[in-house]
Amino acid sequence: MSVLSHNASLIFITGGVRSGKSSFAEKHAEEIAIETGGQLNYLATGVPSDPEMTERIEKHQRDRETGECQWKTVERSVHIGELVSSFNSEDIVLLDCVTTLLNNELFSRGHVWDNLFLTNVQESVVSGILKLKNQAKALIVVSNEVLNEPLAGNELVFTYGKLLGRIHQELVKEADQAFLVEAGVPVLMKGVQR
Amino acid sequence: MHFVTGGAFNGKRAWVKKVYKDAVWVSAYENGLLPAELAITTNLLVLEGIEIWIRELTKQHDDANQCREIWNCCLNGWHRWEKADPNRLVVVIGTDITKGIVPMEKENRLWRDVTGWAYQDLAAKAEKVDFIWYGINQTIKSGGDC
Repeated sequence: MSVLSHNASLIFITGGVRSGKSSFAEKHAEEIAIETGGQLNYLATGVPSDPEMTERIEKHQRDRETGECQWKTVERSVHIGELVSSFNSEDIVLLDCVTTLLNNELFSRGHVWDNLFLTNVQESVVSGILKLKNQAKALIVVSNEVLNEPLAGNELVFTYGKLLGRIHQELVKEADQAFLVEAGVPVLMKGVQR
Repeated sequence: MHFVTGGAFNGKRAWVKKVYKDAVWVSAYENGLLPAELAITTNLLVLEGIEIWIRELTKQHDDANQCREIWNCCLNGWHRWEKADPNRLVVVIGTDITKGIVPMEKENRLWRDVTGWAYQDLAAKAEKVDFIWYGINQTIKSGGDC
């Protein structure tokens, strides 16, 4: 485990609803695992809030369990940076998705959305992701494309969109690879194809 | 003309500032109106927040075709201004608002429709079109002429 050989990488993936971004992210993670022999980890941020979400989580879990690769599930809904000691430099970590994590950070404690709180949330999400990235072999982060519609009508939506856009910009800046998945087709937006 | 588009909070303004230094900016986010005729003593002009201006247009005229006609008159005006001097360039920034769920309200549907058509007309007239995705640009049209 030499520090020099530890080539940490961040891979950012977004797409619209049902674009195939999660499947692509899992496939991408498995390819890295096969190539490097590292352990696959699924960082589950979802707190099941209704039967529909429970069902969706179960479907994703079944998909990961029935595949050829063995995934380890790590659950954490906020402050993911605190998980840093759970991973080592061989680990491949998949975080799906940033919007769920952001929702948890924003809504979990009934905070007033003042500038200080919003800045802290942005910092917590971004620095948490970068901490895990630096610790692990690779961190794959999935998020949602939700900024291509009017946001101005509702202050909550506007503030949320602004925060998510800023987080995405920071992540893309830090990412070694970034993909936009359109109808199941991953389009490489940054970096080189492996 | 150079058309720069992409979703909200994707870093369009920062990208344009990086590419085009020392431009004069006219922002619809500040005063809600963009000029149809240009009386500006600069060669590099950035018009920002086109979607806000198009919304104002649809508030004044509830006929989509009429909005589009007015829009095209503006485009022609900017184009004429630009062509009067080979050093001139107009950069137009418009946020993409066209990929959500169909809006409930009639006026928001009209706004969205007119914005989509207006961007098509703008892109057709522009020599260059860039799409900004979280700070990264993708040139989706270049070297075109009208």
